[in-house]
Amino acid sequence: MMNLYFEPFIIPFCIGVVVLFGVMWTKFISWISRLPKTDKRLILKNAVSSATFAALWEVIRECLLHMRIRRVNLRLWYMHMSLAFGWFLLIVVGRIEGGIALGSLMNPPYVDVFFRKYFPYIHIPGFGFLMDLILLFILSGLGLAVYKRFNSRKLGMKRTTRLKRTDRVALISLWCIFPVRLLAESFNSALFESGSFLTGSLGDLFALIFPTIALYYINNLLWWCYSVVLGTFFIMLPFSRYLHIFAEIPLIFLRAYGIRAKANPTTFSKLQIAACSRCGICIDPCQLAQNNLTNNTQSVYFLRNIRDKEQSPDITDHCLLCGRCEQICPVGIELNTIRISSRHLQRAGEIRFDYSYFRGTDLSAGEGKVGYFAGCMGQLSPKTAAAMKRIFQESETDVWYADSEGSVCCGRPQKMAGNLDAARQMTEYNTSLFEKHGIRTLVTSCPICLKTFREDYRLPDIEVLHHSEYIARLLETGRLKRNPSSKILTYHDPCELGRGSGIYDDPRKVISRIGILKEAPDNREHSLCCGSSLGNTRLSTPQKIQIAKSVTDTYEKTGAEYLVTSCPLCKKALGRTSRIQVIDLSEALFLE
Amino acid sequence: MAKRVIIIGGGVAGMQAAITLKKLGCSPLLIEKSVELGGKLNHWDRLFPSGMKAKELIQNMVDEIASLNIKIMLCSEISEIRHEGERVEVGLTDGNAFEGEALVIATGFELFNASVKEEYGYGIYENVITSADLEAMFSEGTVSTSTGLPPRSVAFLHCVGSRDLQIGQPHCSKVCCITGVKQAIEIRELLPECQIYNFYMDMRMFGSGYEELYKKAQETFRINFIRGRISEASETADRQIRIKAEDTLLGRPLKLTVDLLVLMIGKRAAVCNKTFADNLDIPLNESGFLQAKDDFYNNTATRHDNVFIIGTSLAPKTVGEALNDASMASTRIYDYLTRNERQL
Repeated sequence: MMNLYFEPFIIPFCIGVVVLFGVMWTKFISWISRLPKTDKRLILKNAVSSATFAALWEVIRECLLHMRIRRVNLRLWYMHMSLAFGWFLLIVVGRIEGGIALGSLMNPPYVDVFFRKYFPYIHIPGFGFLMDLILLFILSGLGLAVYKRFNSRKLGMKRTTRLKRTDRVALISLWCIFPVRLLAESFNSALFESGSFLTGSLGDLFALIFPTIALYYINNLLWWCYSVVLGTFFIMLPFSRYLHIFAEIPLIFLRAYGIRAKANPTTFSKLQIAACSRCGICIDPCQLAQNNLTNNTQSVYFLRNIRDKEQSPDITDHCLLCGRCEQICPVGIELNTIRISSRHLQRAGEIRFDYSYFRGTDLSAGEGKVGYFAGCMGQLSPKTAAAMKRIFQESETDVWYADSEGSVCCGRPQKMAGNLDAARQMTEYNTSLFEKHGIRTLVTSCPICLKTFREDYRLPDIEVLHHSEYIARLLETGRLKRNPSSKILTYHDPCELGRGSGIYDDPRKVISRIGILKEAPDNREHSLCCGSSLGNTRLSTPQKIQIAKSVTDTYEKTGAEYLVTSCPLCKKALGRTSRIQVIDLSEALFLE
Repeated sequence: MAKRVIIIGGGVAGMQAAITLKKLGCSPLLIEKSVELGGKLNHWDRLFPSGMKAKELIQNMVDEIASLNIKIMLCSEISEIRHEGERVEVGLTDGNAFEGEALVIATGFELFNASVKEEYGYGIYENVITSADLEAMFSEGTVSTSTGLPPRSVAFLHCVGSRDLQIGQPHCSKVCCITGVKQAIEIRELLPECQIYNFYMDMRMFGSGYEELYKKAQETFRINFIRGRISEASETADRQIRIKAEDTLLGRPLKLTVDLLVLMIGKRAAVCNKTFADNLDIPLNESGFLQAKDDFYNNTATRHDNVFIIGTSLAPKTVGEALNDASMASTRIYDYLTRNERQL
């Protein structure tokens, strides 16, 4: 029969472990079992493939080594990595040590954890030293963590997450675990010479200070404490932000199998929300925080509100959906999609959208295999629409103008507001309009339209292009010719085109054909939002202008003569504050 | 010796201040950045509501300035202002500097740049013009489209660059409603057969004789007033302007094609207001206009006893209001400069 090695002081620890795994598994199993059928099919299809190995590798890289945080900030990375990887090593090495000592790997887990207490006289060469080294490694990270909480700037974060009570209890118990272990092992060593360079030396010191009887009582008390803080942390873990430690593992696997969050939310979103560590890395890049416009709606707080069931439109709607936080999130949470789905849940049934009057409307003009959709904002920027017309004429392309006389919205603004049904009706109308005219290519000047055409429309026979891609192609194939001038231009990446659709190079190719491109410091995936995003329904106009001002300031410093962008909304927004002329990429082809 | 008062800006307000101060026995110095006195009115044909020629008003004032021997400096732009105790020093961009015992800011406004509202097509379509462009046509005596022919139909769009939160111009520019009425009547007088439309949000006929003129415009001059803003304008193949709007009284969308679209551009706070605000610690309002100490007795005064602001540096104003400001500030400055003599 297996030896249970029962001692009363392990009770708190054992309760903690049971609660932790009981609650956590219940959550994970219920989420995964309630995934939609299509997602489950993806799991079955991809589980036996290289995706699993890739995911495994990612788990090691991200859950243990936190390599993505390394890109953000080295000190912050060391802090997270030493805690996660160090603790992992402590468990693994402890297990090996216990296994060797007792000749079996089937020992109950608390035997490894409280090994020194159980077997102070067993010394396996090297292990004492190794365990002290790992403990020191963790304590160095913990030191940084405590320091960061009070001095976040020193670790490269201007702002750190404000905590709630459950998080605070969990945080304090987590902070206590390793110092208490250090003390417990040191006192143990004071009595039994069980420690190495760290706990041994400290133990020698304690042996000098305290009488043996005191050492004995303090030692027992400290091991109780160690069990209690471990137990407390484990009990709090599934209810606090520390659930991310485990939630990220299934998240990485499911993501590797191709599962994504959806605007109409599934339980995969819940898993993503649980995987948020509330590290707060998303706070600093948020332009609403940078401009002091809100300090409680950033993704970290938004996700916490969902977990705590404290959602409100005040928080959900106050976001630009610019994607800067999503781009930097070390866990890779699909923050924009989750935000949209949250808006959808709040709006559901609020208003019924009846667009039956769309039927039969056709305000298009011209004929051709290439269709041009300026978009609502494109039509309100006649310089862009006019420049596109000139481009089509110059490249001798026959064009069907989808919306020159008026149009139905692409639907993305409604989707961003969470009105999925309204968006669906618009999608259906425009899809049938495009199909009716038999176009093969659809060019749009609006990145907002582009994103929804590509992601939400089913247009199997039509290639959808943004005008920047189309113009780059015309220049490449020689159907449009331009000679570079000495004009200096800078470029603003629109959120929906850059981070949203991954188009960074084509606009730059076009600009380098007509002049000299000078980049602002925040460019490509780090580019700033113009502030007038359709995503935010809470900002007042002066606030939008404030954001635009902070953005155009960075472009003015480049010394460029023109600020080029390729989104009519960005152009309008930046034009309000820019001292250098703001033009669309299409207009840039006709600069004199 | 007469006390030196520096007046920045030689528009009607600045000129009026110079005249009044001189008559009160002070020694005004009028600094103007352009080549002539008269400011924005030099580019305006007739003044509402009476139709008096702007040139006539300016000429009268310039003559009076000449006869009073008031010192003026043209082509002089301000670079900085220093205020120390009871003295004000004004530095010019050419390096010169002047000292005075009081300062009057009368730098006025700027016209809204209509191309900011790209959806109306100013600068893109030849037959979209501004109210200022139309005044220039009136000065020349003919109104025509880009082809040189008289327009058969003209639409006026009110509130371009006024009452528009989207572009950071939340204020009402005050004078465009009545100017739209005046200009529509002038077109009718030049072109009796022309179709004339005014698209407005609401007509603010606050001044004496304005409402009467508005009624006359409808009844006698057959001008159509349509309540609703134009949402966008586009160009047809023969260079006409197609307008999309909503008639908010009928609650119906509306499409209209006209030969000429006139944008009634509003008043913008001058960029130089920022210099005054920074140098003299005077607050700016949301639209960027300088703020007086209060809206009543001190409506031209500032936190400094010897610095006053008049005319459209404070807010959009009519010519008459700007002239009243000038007189008000002048008497307050006279009071200030003679305070010690009166105590004796």
